[in-house]
Amino acid sequence: MREVAAVGLGMHPWGKFEDKSVTELCRHAVEAALADAGAQWRDIEAVAAASSRFSGGKGWGLNGNDVVEDMGSTGVPVYNMSAGCSAGANAFNIGHMLVSSGAHDMVLVVGGEKMPKGFIQTSGVEEHTDPEFLRQRCIGMPGPAFWAVLSRRRMHDHGTTEEQMAKVAVKARKNGALNPNARYRKETNVEEVLKSALVVYPLHLFEICAVSDGAAAVVLCSAEKAKQLTTKPVWVGASAVATARFDDGITRGIGGMSPTGITHHSEAAAAVKKAMEGAGVGPKDIDFVELQDNTVYYELAFPEEFGLCEPGQSEWLLENNETIPTGKLPINPSGGFISFGEATTAQGLFQICEVGWQLRGESGERQVPNAKVGMCQTIGLGGNATAVVLKS
Amino acid sequence: MATKHAVEGLFAETANGPRLLGSRCATCSAPYFPKSPVCHNPECTESKIEDAEFGPTGKLWGFTFQVFPPPPPAKFDEPFKPYPMGFIDLDEGLRVLGQVTTDDMTKVAVDMPLELVIEHLYHDEDGNDVVTWKFKPAA
Ligand SMILES: [Zn+2]
Repeated sequence: MREVAAVGLGMHPWGKFEDKSVTELCRHAVEAALADAGAQWRDIEAVAAASSRFSGGKGWGLNGNDVVEDMGSTGVPVYNMSAGCSAGANAFNIGHMLVSSGAHDMVLVVGGEKMPKGFIQTSGVEEHTDPEFLRQRCIGMPGPAFWAVLSRRRMHDHGTTEEQMAKVAVKARKNGALNPNARYRKETNVEEVLKSALVVYPLHLFEICAVSDGAAAVVLCSAEKAKQLTTKPVWVGASAVATARFDDGITRGIGGMSPTGITHHSEAAAAVKKAMEGAGVGPKDIDFVELQDNTVYYELAFPEEFGLCEPGQSEWLLENNETIPTGKLPINPSGGFISFGEATTAQGLFQICEVGWQLRGESGERQVPNAKVGMCQTIGLGGNATAVVLKS
Repeated sequence: MATKHAVEGLFAETANGPRLLGSRCATCSAPYFPKSPVCHNPECTESKIEDAEFGPTGKLWGFTFQVFPPPPPAKFDEPFKPYPMGFIDLDEGLRVLGQVTTDDMTKVAVDMPLELVIEHLYHDEDGNDVVTWKFKPAA
């Protein structure tokens, strides 16, 4: 397999853009990524795109085709990847393979999204065979309740306090305030977080990511090509995809097997493990991580589930400022989903752009000092998960 | 006015009391709720699905409170009243989601023993009493 470099990183800032189409958001990101790579649209040999359920794609998730038509139909192959919130990094995985396999020398990966207002309705169908429908109709349990149940269990297991969870949001927004691409750019404090509306106990509005619009794009190419284009390429250490295991402890429907061990988010842990192994790095080599903080809970649980710290250690790291950009284990220097909001299928690519910029030392006031190895991960509907390790 | 199930075929009042209606694989003993026509356990050597009843006792693994009216397709009586809900580990090895019935939300706790009940969820347009499975604190 060939070495692959990420030579072009581009993003349309996250936010709510009533007057822009998803195509316009994508064009902004693609043009920025091409300019960053010093490449032309006609240099792109293939496109891997995140399929959206909410915007564009002709209602079939053909979002890559929309981008190609808009940029200019060159006849390139297009791969549209559907994987819920993991779609962006899932497309990245395909883009990476297209280059590493030698099939193509330069590939574009893109994800863009315009989200409807309110909580994400995962399926939207009224069918008695649909577990999402059964959960909401028979139990009155919307999606965010899962995060709340997990959060409350963590309070029981590790003595996590509501103040500590609020501090995660405060830290996230502090980073977001320093990131021109983030949607929420105002710092907050523990009191304000705890006073924000209680959405689902113990989680408050400021502790749960909103829905956003946004787009991000990455140009991948072979090492040979990268050397012609740039003096500081970002290398793809590994890109991994995994799905959930049968014995996972998080009930995806309304009932399942009681777990015998800690097997929550088995898909996310598996993708991270594969990515670290593929890149030949261990937890100690990871200089910083961008992880999927749909809610503050994940910033406490995921580092432990991924082996980046010991179980129960996350609160200590947080309280001792070790998760800020200058700490021992910087988490989400971008500001994370809490500061960006969720443009579902584009999320994995905003993370990859952030990791790339950090590795190039271009992240300004939120820069992780001496960042050499960065990791990002997503987890999406259907038990999909991804992880990417990038190296300078 | 009649009593209706929120969705048919998921629970029943049996001779032994309320039970959830699911299935279990005779080979690997994996539990399923709702019923599954086949075993999905990748470690299982032969899918042998049989009907199985689950409940009534278990304990609360984790919980939360629904404090605002849930969006459709959830249904509830106006005015909305907050309720606890969570993941319940039943004695038979099934982890199931459900509401917890209690008048005192401060008494809801991790690991509390619970018992399956079939109770009112909402009134439909015709005034029928629509019921679902819930869990009450065990005596
Ligand atoms: Zn079986």
